[in-house]
Amino acid sequence: MLQLQQLTTARNFLTDITWSCQAGELTAVIGPSGGGKSSLIRLINRLEDPSDGQILLAGRDIRELPPPLLRQRVGMMLQKAFMFEGTVLDNLQQPFRYRKEALPGAEHPEVLRSIGLARLSPDYLQRDARTLSGGEQQRVNLARALINRPELLLLDEPTSALDRPTTDSLGQTLLEICRSEGLAVIMVTHDLRLARRISDQTVYLEAGRIVEAGKTAELFAQPQSEGLRTFLAEPDEQEA
Amino acid sequence: MSDKTLLHLDLIQLVYAYALILLSVSLAHFRQIGQERQMLWASLRMVVQLLAVGYLLQLVFTVRSPLMVILILLTMTGFSLQVMGSRIKQRMPHFYRIMGSSIMIGCGGVTFYFCLLVVGYSPWYDPRYLIPLAGMIIGNSMNGASLAAERLTSEMRERHDELETALCLGATARQAAEPALRTAYRAALIPTMNTMAATGIVALPGMMTGQILSGTEPMLAVRYQIAIMCAITASVAITAFLILLQGYRGYFTQADQLRNTL
Repeated sequence: MLQLQQLTTARNFLTDITWSCQAGELTAVIGPSGGGKSSLIRLINRLEDPSDGQILLAGRDIRELPPPLLRQRVGMMLQKAFMFEGTVLDNLQQPFRYRKEALPGAEHPEVLRSIGLARLSPDYLQRDARTLSGGEQQRVNLARALINRPELLLLDEPTSALDRPTTDSLGQTLLEICRSEGLAVIMVTHDLRLARRISDQTVYLEAGRIVEAGKTAELFAQPQSEGLRTFLAEPDEQEA
Repeated sequence: MSDKTLLHLDLIQLVYAYALILLSVSLAHFRQIGQERQMLWASLRMVVQLLAVGYLLQLVFTVRSPLMVILILLTMTGFSLQVMGSRIKQRMPHFYRIMGSSIMIGCGGVTFYFCLLVVGYSPWYDPRYLIPLAGMIIGNSMNGASLAAERLTSEMRERHDELETALCLGATARQAAEPALRTAYRAALIPTMNTMAATGIVALPGMMTGQILSGTEPMLAVRYQIAIMCAITASVAITAFLILLQGYRGYFTQADQLRNTL
């Protein structure tokens, strides 16, 4: 459903990226810091553009879609879960405001569906979003991204500020959504334990190039490149 | 205006007035508070600039050429741009183009509307009316324009995460920038609103005081003051609105992406 074809960005930061993923598949993008992981996923919802190459979503070049429409179809959770002023419900209504549609109430099926998928109870809807904990805010962030009913969800280090139990529980939620909704998920992460536990595919990116990509179990068990072997052996990465 | 009530100021009287500055300077000097040099320099500049403007206005009033009046208005706009450019450290993209066009349309439009429809004198370029009115309108709008531009730049920087989150949820550039635009617009209008609220109670406006001192009846001076306040408010509002409307676009690409300038 998503194809990246020979993507290169300005000053060759990302070089010749060719890769694809399917619906219902969870992909982890791993690699050393500054290797281009975040830059790669920012190309997929056009927060940035490549200098060369093409991205196809369901067979269609993403540049043919108006950017706001593309970003409704390709949801994204940024590293920092920014909460708009107001309640959780106000935050969930934000995409409807942008689409100039009637705002859904707390009983609206789309609201209940998205908070249900993000494992948030309806009691949260009237709470002030900015007073929630980091883990709760990431769940609101997830519910807010899901309310647009995206086909593809991009996550930029969604668990970097969370503790281990919260990370595990959010990871489990992501996997369930991916399976139940047939949603393709691409997650940039430093957390190798999480990547190993929940992803189907893993892409290893180093200095702007895909060095290895394949099934997570195989890639972690038998890394082919020296770079990935060294990266997996780093104590910091193992503990993350 | 009747000459019976008009009090002339001769050179001796001006010297008496300047003595007040000298008094302040000597006070600062003897008490060693400082600033005497700056005070002297600023006051001398003020005297020289005003005398120069006085002679220039006298010349313009005598010649009464539309071309010369337009040239003076353009020079005033140019100076206001230069002042704003030097005062604002972090400028939005295409700063001079945006500020220049907004001041020309906002201030220019309001000035001509005011002169032709409200005051309704003839000919339209009569420098006795056009230049002082344009000066008041541009001078006041310059402050609103600087505030709008400065605030827009800081809001766009501070709200980086918010802007990107909004774009990710399907907002257009305009929708994402809306909260920043609203805050910057409010900041630009606050001084004018405050002046309107305080006028007559806290302070008597300069133009009105000047008219009364030179012999105009208070009620006529008040009517002029109300009209000019309306013109200044409209000019500040329109100029700030145009700056913000054009200014925010510079932070985004055509594809509703945030530029790296932030």
